[in-house]
Amino acid sequence: MNDDERELDDIGLQLRSAMPPSQDRELKTDLWPRMLRRMEEAPVRFGWFESVVLALTLMTFAVFPELIPVLLYHL
Amino acid sequence: MRSHPYLRAYMAGVLLPSWLLLIGLGIFTLGRVTQHVPAGLERVIIFPMAVVPNVWGLWNLLYVSLHLSERVSIGVFGALLPLVLVPAGIALSFALDLRFYVLWDALIVLPFVIVIYYLAWKYGVAFFNRIVELS
Repeated sequence: MNDDERELDDIGLQLRSAMPPSQDRELKTDLWPRMLRRMEEAPVRFGWFESVVLALTLMTFAVFPELIPVLLYHL
Repeated sequence: MRSHPYLRAYMAGVLLPSWLLLIGLGIFTLGRVTQHVPAGLERVIIFPMAVVPNVWGLWNLLYVSLHLSERVSIGVFGALLPLVLVPAGIALSFALDLRFYVLWDALIVLPFVIVIYYLAWKYGVAFFNRIVELS
């Protein structure tokens, strides 16, 4: 073992002693039911203003389909 | 889930345009196969693929980090994003010599992009922010 290898080993030892491996890596709880609960908590509600604005926008793109690629370019 | 709020904000912002990109890419691929869309149009995808999702993520990060939810609705904040993105899109289209997109088209489409962004942010990004417990 040359000096470089010895120095690397020494650095490795020091790093391992500075950061001991974590003993408890598993999640305490399952996050999926928690996410489903949050999704149910606040269902999406579409107001009349949003409906009108969206309908007008969709009508415009139906009348001028050449604008659709320009729209997709920004999404 | 209280750690890394900025990472969660970025990811919640990136999600929706990434999904839309898949739809756009599908339409483009279908067009290539069925309608013989000319080659070279791949350059068009650079902006929606590389710029738009990242800017959405950063915009949401900005919204969360500056605590703007107390002053501005997320829909309105998202509706401001096209004012940044559309000029950037024009600049890139000029740089890449994309002839399908000129200044006049951008001016026509801008109000509709604002409307769609308003709805996407009010319902989409806000929903994802709630899911990752940012609001």
